Amino acid sequence: MPEHSFTIANRIINQIIRDRRTLALILIVPIVVMTLIWLSFPKELGTLDYIAPALLATLALFFGFLLTGISFLRERSQGTLERLMASPVTRADIVIGYLLGFFLFALMQSLIIVLFTVYALNIHYTGALWQIFVLQLVILVGAINLGIFISAFARNEFQMVQFIPLIILPQVFLCGLLWPVEQMNTVLQWIAKFLPLTYAVDGLRGIMVNGKSLAEVAGDLAALAGFAVAMSIITALSLRRGNTA
Amino acid sequence: MAVKEFAIDVNNASFFYGKLKALDNLSLQVPRGISFGLLGPNGAGKTTLIRILVGLLKPSSGTVSVLGQITDRRNASQIGYMPQQQSLYTELSVTQNIDFFAKIYGIKDKTVRQKKVNETIKLIELWERRNDGISKLSGGMKQRVSLACAIVHNPPLLLLDEPTVGLDPELRANFWDHFTGLNKQGITIIISSHTMDDAAHCDRLAFIRNGRVIASGAPNELTQSTGQGDATLEDAFLYCVRLGETKNA
Repeated sequence: MPEHSFTIANRIINQIIRDRRTLALILIVPIVVMTLIWLSFPKELGTLDYIAPALLATLALFFGFLLTGISFLRERSQGTLERLMASPVTRADIVIGYLLGFFLFALMQSLIIVLFTVYALNIHYTGALWQIFVLQLVILVGAINLGIFISAFARNEFQMVQFIPLIILPQVFLCGLLWPVEQMNTVLQWIAKFLPLTYAVDGLRGIMVNGKSLAEVAGDLAALAGFAVAMSIITALSLRRGNTA
Repeated sequence: MAVKEFAIDVNNASFFYGKLKALDNLSLQVPRGISFGLLGPNGAGKTTLIRILVGLLKPSSGTVSVLGQITDRRNASQIGYMPQQQSLYTELSVTQNIDFFAKIYGIKDKTVRQKKVNETIKLIELWERRNDGISKLSGGMKQRVSLACAIVHNPPLLLLDEPTVGLDPELRANFWDHFTGLNKQGITIIISSHTMDDAAHCDRLAFIRNGRVIASGAPNELTQSTGQGDATLEDAFLYCVRLGETKNA
């Protein structure tokens, strides 16, 4: 483990804990979103049982990306990243520190979403709960690094938000949330194969709807893990010392 | 003078932002233990030079040596860097900000760090506000915290990029008291500025314009070079600019 990762993670945790409004929003927003979705779907058809795994995957990707992307952008725009890069910390320290710091809050969000969906909204699921969490964790690692990486291309919060329709929405349309990937045309099916959310939805649906084990969705898990590792490496490489503003 | 005696030794350094030449074969030597001012207008290349010295940028050509080493990451812990922006974590308190930088600059022992952080907070005269969030502080107080983050690990070299911008005269004088105190401890201080008030406090100066050093020396040497008895540093700067233009014409 790089020397300063925990120091950076600890700082991020302190920052969010001291920012009470942000902390409250992190915890409350997922509940509000899931409740709204639950209210808008007819209960008797069991549609929500089928859609819920895809929603869990999508919200994990969305919140992980947004939370980290905006925070890292602020680190760039406030000049603290430049100061950090001038210090003895390494790029690995920064990437792992951010991952650990934001992972805690992204994980809290995911836990709230999953537990609220399962216990408060009574969404039916068949697989093991811990296996759902494992898959959610891997999605989050990729989402957090994606957020850090994309923040390098934005100069302010407004630009960062514009990346949501560019990075997240196409995945939502092509991942199988709205209609099965197999029913899309060949080109879209081909594109869907390169999107992490496709594997997240497929894996979670396999566990929650079809009662598969993690071993049975190992292909999806491996694709998501590969994306997470690739994003971590790309993010670390993109943090050049002269490219902090 | 041997290279090791210089805190900073820059030889024919150039740097480009795309096609824009920010540094143009700039050479500069700064002896250890003095306060050295980089003086010049906005866009002269001062910040680029400081970012190269701190290791954030690499020169396109030429060599840059800091504390006897070619700039790479090995001497990062020996440099205190105060960027032009305040660069603080606004949600965290004064203590938390300074403590964070103390930790990443290698003060690992908690008791030693706590003592050092407290001493530094007292030095910048913010003891009563130590638990306040940065967002609750005035601009001048934030500048002081930013300085504290740069000096908490006792670096032998301080690189301060326009540290007195936006400060009122009283606070500016306080800052210079701090700098003089640090100088007396043997710390080399490099300050970039475009105000002549800062320049007058420095042991030595380099006038920078268009990425080049157009003159360097002690403040009195530079004023005397104009040939006018009552010349100010501003007169000296303008004299050097005109002299350069005449030579180039």
